[in-house]
Amino acid sequence: MNAILHAAFHAIGIIILIYFFLINGFYFLFTILSLVGIFHHRNLSTYVSFKEVFRLPLIKPISIIATAYNEEVTIIESVRSLLSLEYPNYEVIVVNDGSTDRTLDNLITIFRLQKSKRVFRKVVDHKPVKGIYASPSFPKLIVIDKVNGRKADALNAGLNVSRYPLFCAVDADSLLEKSALLKIVRPFLEDPERTIAAGGIIRLSNGCTFKDGQLSQVRMPRNFLARFQVIEYFRAFLGGRIGLSMLKSLLIISGAFGLFRKDVALQCGGYRTGTIGEDLDLIVRMRRHLHNMRKPFEVRFIPDPICWTEAPETLRSLSRQRNRWHRGLLDTIRYNRIMLFNPRYGVTGLFALPFYFVFEMLGPLIELAGYVTFLVCMILGQVNTPFALLFFLLAVVLGTLLSLLAVLIEEYSSHRYPRLRDILIIALFSLLENVIYRQWLSIVRVLAFFDFAKGKQEWGAMEKKGFARPAET
Amino acid sequence: MNPPLIITIHGLLFLLLFSLSLIAFIVIRRLVIERQQVRFKRLYGQIERDVLEAISLLNQDFTLKVANRHKSHHRVLTQVLLDFGDIIVGEGRDQLRIIFNSVLKDRCLSHLASPWTTKRLQSIRLFIIFFDPSENTQLHRLLDDKPIVKLAVISALARIPSPETMRYVFKAFEEDTGTTVRSYLNIMFSLGNRIEPLVKAHLKKPLSAEKLGLLVELAGAIPLRSLYEEINALAGHPDKEIRIKVARTLGKLLLPESVQTLVSLAADATWEVQAQAVKSLGKLRDRDTLDILTGSLFSPFWYVRYNAGYGLCELGEEGIRRLKKVAAQKEDRYARDMSVMVLNDLIYSSEAA
Repeated sequence: MNAILHAAFHAIGIIILIYFFLINGFYFLFTILSLVGIFHHRNLSTYVSFKEVFRLPLIKPISIIATAYNEEVTIIESVRSLLSLEYPNYEVIVVNDGSTDRTLDNLITIFRLQKSKRVFRKVVDHKPVKGIYASPSFPKLIVIDKVNGRKADALNAGLNVSRYPLFCAVDADSLLEKSALLKIVRPFLEDPERTIAAGGIIRLSNGCTFKDGQLSQVRMPRNFLARFQVIEYFRAFLGGRIGLSMLKSLLIISGAFGLFRKDVALQCGGYRTGTIGEDLDLIVRMRRHLHNMRKPFEVRFIPDPICWTEAPETLRSLSRQRNRWHRGLLDTIRYNRIMLFNPRYGVTGLFALPFYFVFEMLGPLIELAGYVTFLVCMILGQVNTPFALLFFLLAVVLGTLLSLLAVLIEEYSSHRYPRLRDILIIALFSLLENVIYRQWLSIVRVLAFFDFAKGKQEWGAMEKKGFARPAET
Repeated sequence: MNPPLIITIHGLLFLLLFSLSLIAFIVIRRLVIERQQVRFKRLYGQIERDVLEAISLLNQDFTLKVANRHKSHHRVLTQVLLDFGDIIVGEGRDQLRIIFNSVLKDRCLSHLASPWTTKRLQSIRLFIIFFDPSENTQLHRLLDDKPIVKLAVISALARIPSPETMRYVFKAFEEDTGTTVRSYLNIMFSLGNRIEPLVKAHLKKPLSAEKLGLLVELAGAIPLRSLYEEINALAGHPDKEIRIKVARTLGKLLLPESVQTLVSLAADATWEVQAQAVKSLGKLRDRDTLDILTGSLFSPFWYVRYNAGYGLCELGEEGIRRLKKVAAQKEDRYARDMSVMVLNDLIYSSEAA
């Protein structure tokens, strides 16, 4: 019996070990590719300044769709920021998704909105629209007031009302930098036929100060949870997505800031309202559609258009957010399971989706299984304690190294944290992140499996502080 | 100690060392850059003052003195010239050119052969601003470089729009494939009306639909009205995208004789062409097209109705009268709603004005 147990634990140990080396190997590869990508991108920006993009004769107009649900704290600042972007031709469509607070009232008062008789094509389905508002003083702005149907539904309403061939999906609680549109539109100018989506970088606004809808000072947040998330975002966007984009395997363009070709999105039926991971789901379905049509396409990640968003600062909000993200991933992979390991879907079916399936979806389960196995083995006295401890340390240091490489990429790219102190804090938290925080997140994500099995569709509200102004800090 | 333990210890030590070196590198790099930035700012301020004085005095000797005074700070001087070169024209730029020629030109020429793309691109950028036709050959060497470098060179060549340069640009456009093709549009656009004979010749060549479409769009963007015949001849092109672009370009050329073509495109089999043709008809403001635009308001396609509505708006009082009439009818609610929306928008824009 003891021998069988020993053999079983040995086999589990080997599987976890292989998994550990594979996942870290992939992340290391993405990070190295990201470094190469950043240098290439720097070369490009040396040659073409973004003001030149502004003067291009055939620049395409963009519809910005911002969805808002109970965003009374941030909505005005966000819309102001959207209205002051540098781009020759764009419209801002704010979709009030049945807010129960003063979101719509604030918009009506501040932007002097009046009810409009605008008509639109109902190409994709969504919950009924209660009214469309326009403002004589802000002709770029349109506000849709609709019955609550969640984010995907609100985005579909925005898609129907939008007039332009490209649409930019943003969260109403986020702020775009002035030049963000000019930068993100670039792949659509270079390769308009093949580029179907492009994503920019999301950064956390916690700790930063804003003035007139624009960022005025970048600082590390004081909240420890927000600090951990700063590092996570660095790793995900700078260390991961540039690399995945270079491997033509990018499956997610963040819902907080992404630019898409409207015709392709509409051909796929717009956003799928039954899902809560609408950003990932749309890209996967767009890829699936174009693979089916046998049309070449590109999904690009551009590292310098920046969108600032507020991160949750309490364990409760953060666990809700991560639980939701993981349920979204589970749902998308289940919905598109036909693509998994299917050569018909090229790199998406053979690498990108399997990667997300094995390492992102099953990752927390395997990680947790590793910890549980370790504990059981320890109780049964089957553990080589020095080896286990050293291996745990190795995992922590490897995780830290990956985070530090992402910090290095940040230093070579936008270099947004001006104080050396902030960089040192990031380095310290890169180490701390791997102890307790990481394990806690794994548990949260494992719990998402149960919630998903129960069919939980809850979004989970997040307490917002709003964007801090200089006087408030 | 067993082998796995030894491997783990070695791995851990290696990773620890690597991580620590990385932190050290990041911190040292940051400190060095910060010091460099302070020095750069100070020098930039000094050079900026001197260069501005040279630009205002327009005295060649003084300008040469400024160049010699700062020749050891070529990096900062390069940046000043890049910043000012883009915004200063005429005699002021001549003074900048004097500084460039006396201090930076040789370095710049050597950087054109640098193995670092960034250095090559920076040098080309300087050439773009202070281009001298005699350096053509220096730049021609780079026409076989990476696409991005090649494009930069072509941009530089396009600063002096000699017939030879323009032929170069069009030859490269004809030969290139892939993602860089659209970038030529920007270069050609900057050359303005003088490219008309070359566009004309290329519109008759058997180019790919993408390139042909780009040339058609270019004719509208500049605009090249003398190419009307060539553009018009493409109205019957089998590719839908080309017909859309022809309709759009005709709307930009604003030639009364294009009405007939646009009217026939408004009856095209595809709604995308119809929508673009109706939009262009609106821009032409020809009262004879009132019936066609009004009829298009009853189209089953939303974009056709939308463009027809705003097209009628462009036609002034009579157009608005027609819109009101459609808004009052009850047979077609889609046409009515569109007319109401356009009229509503009209009220808003007049309020805003």
